[in-house]
Amino acid sequence: MDGNFRIVIAGGGRVGKRVAHILDDRGHDVTVIERDPEQAATLSGDYVATVIEGDATRPGVLEQAGLERADVVAALTSQSGTNLAVCLLTRELAPDTQTVVRTEDEPGTEFDRFVDEVIFPERAGARAAVNAIEPDVNTLEDVTGTLDILELHVAEHAPVADRSLEEVSLPRGSLIVSDAAGDTLAGPDTVLHPGESYLVAVEPSVVDEVLNLFRG
Amino acid sequence: MAKQLIPWNRSFATMSAGERAPAAELGLLDATMIGMGAMIGAGIFVLTGLAADIAGPAAIFVFLFNGVVTAFTGLSYAELAASIPKSGGGYAFVRETFDDLPSFLMGWMLWFAYMIAGGLYALGFAPNFLELLHVYGLTAAPGEVGAIAVPILPVSVPAAVGLALAAVALLVTVNALSTAASGSAETVFTAVKIAILVVFVAFGFLSAGGGGETSFTFQQFDPLFPAGNSPFSILPAMGLTFIAFEGYDLITTVTEEVENPRENIPRAIFYSLGATVVVYALVVVVAIGTLGAEGLAAAGEAGIAQAATSFMPTGLPIIRNGGALIVFGAVFSTLTALNAVVIASSRVAFSMGREGQLLPRLGRIHHRYGTPFLAILVSAVVMLGSVALPTESAGNMSSLFFLLSFIIVNAAVIKLRRERPNMRRPYEMPYYPIPPVLGIVLNSLLTVVLVVYLVRTDPLALALSVGWILAGGLAYYALRLRRRGSPAESTDSSNAEGGVD
Repeated sequence: MDGNFRIVIAGGGRVGKRVAHILDDRGHDVTVIERDPEQAATLSGDYVATVIEGDATRPGVLEQAGLERADVVAALTSQSGTNLAVCLLTRELAPDTQTVVRTEDEPGTEFDRFVDEVIFPERAGARAAVNAIEPDVNTLEDVTGTLDILELHVAEHAPVADRSLEEVSLPRGSLIVSDAAGDTLAGPDTVLHPGESYLVAVEPSVVDEVLNLFRG
Repeated sequence: MAKQLIPWNRSFATMSAGERAPAAELGLLDATMIGMGAMIGAGIFVLTGLAADIAGPAAIFVFLFNGVVTAFTGLSYAELAASIPKSGGGYAFVRETFDDLPSFLMGWMLWFAYMIAGGLYALGFAPNFLELLHVYGLTAAPGEVGAIAVPILPVSVPAAVGLALAAVALLVTVNALSTAASGSAETVFTAVKIAILVVFVAFGFLSAGGGGETSFTFQQFDPLFPAGNSPFSILPAMGLTFIAFEGYDLITTVTEEVENPRENIPRAIFYSLGATVVVYALVVVVAIGTLGAEGLAAAGEAGIAQAATSFMPTGLPIIRNGGALIVFGAVFSTLTALNAVVIASSRVAFSMGREGQLLPRLGRIHHRYGTPFLAILVSAVVMLGSVALPTESAGNMSSLFFLLSFIIVNAAVIKLRRERPNMRRPYEMPYYPIPPVLGIVLNSLLTVVLVVYLVRTDPLALALSVGWILAGGLAYYALRLRRRGSPAESTDSSNAEGGVD
């Protein structure tokens, strides 16, 4: 409702940790549940998330992450079974919370009844490998170095809603590339209409500031 | 207070026409100075005279004991800040821990405490500024400056009130229109303030044995408790001056900018608290030892400044009167502290708006200035209004609301320990649960003493305080109704996420 999500991540390993960092950069509140004490300590040193040390499949541990207030629970450990258990527990404990499950194998439609979203990180990894092998054709998510190319939706009451680019001052390190239709490049008189989306290039350090201008 | 140090959202130091200062990495020293800057700032200059008025020479214990009481809450802040990576200060921690209503009330009270503190510092600024002009013979003595006629309006306001209003208006305007400031400015500011106080203390002790009327003597401390005063008489003075120790809340509003925050934030809290207590104790000892408790009380908000003009050397090059240096320190401190609370108060309102606990509009930044424009303006209204209060009422109310807010922060530590035993706590306070329980008990005790004192001496401040809490209850339920009434308002912004997938 305020553009800030409360997100619980089960598993602070390779995937969970990076997800926590990106979400924190975008200004969300993140809680990570991690079983391994060393991993948990490293994560807590990063200062991007509140860290709960324990096994997320135990209801007593999962509940400590504050499920009733969470918008999304993302189960991102390397084991499908663990992840599914976390999502099923979440459905039971907090039915309104969205669930995201990470799978080990190419997912079919088998999970759809039990979770809201399924992700399979190896597919993205394979794309990156292909991009490196065949550099002439790049999948969009890997064209840039650290730069993010985002498609941003202008919320109804966002600070920039109905303003022209001339009126708005964006943080240094961000650039509005094109308007919603994607036919013309954005110029000073481009107006940011609420309800429409724009292609924006952003350096990671200013992502949350840019998002704030687009959120209500 | 350097504005950038209290960013709206990590590094909100956005933009004048597309420019943005990079987020500063603050070290342990910077974080400590932020805390000390807020505490050493205005409290010592403005409130020492008032504390001496209530407690006599025992005012030295007032500041010492307050340092002890507040240390327990400092431990709670340290534990919370190390565990929860948020830059929101006390409100953010409580919001994380408690349900809607208690966290709303906490934010509502902390917001008020900061706004009234703004009024207090503005009221402290004015007489010291007049004193500075007086030292250089530009105006008559502060008490003799008449009223200023307001053009157009058929009224005249006392000069001091006019100055206080002008100070608030100036800093509100500056902060509403720009967030640009250099990151290390706060460290320099605080160092200047401390240096000035060190000069004050040194010359104060040097005046001992000089035989002059205001040379430092220990006779000024005898009797410690003036006739008719029991040792308990210092309690109301502790309540009044409690605000002088709120600096650790400010440290926890910048945690995400501090390097290695899990270790440095707890340290910064303890170092700033310890150093502040030492500085306070020395300054109060000198002020009472030279001017005497009665003289200090008579000087009110300009107490320290008057003590200084009485013993500092005169005939110096450029500044002529050595006392002017201290008066300048008072002016400088009250202004920087005012700036800090203008930012801090609007930040609380901004966070509450973002969390949907106040009008969402308050949680938005201005599309051009990059500041939480509306949150600053709304806070400014209350701040300007509070300038009409007597200084003592402003001190009492602000302290009262800091006391109440800090009780909730201590409770948050206990609640989190019970409900989330597995949460990683990189800093765990020693001897749990004694510190938070003592924090709650002692803060409650001071709250009760302060309320009883207000019933007797300052019913206006009490009525306004109760009124603010009642207004908070109304606002809370009105906002809930509003949210239910217009579901569109609450869902329309959640899809601003975008991103490539």
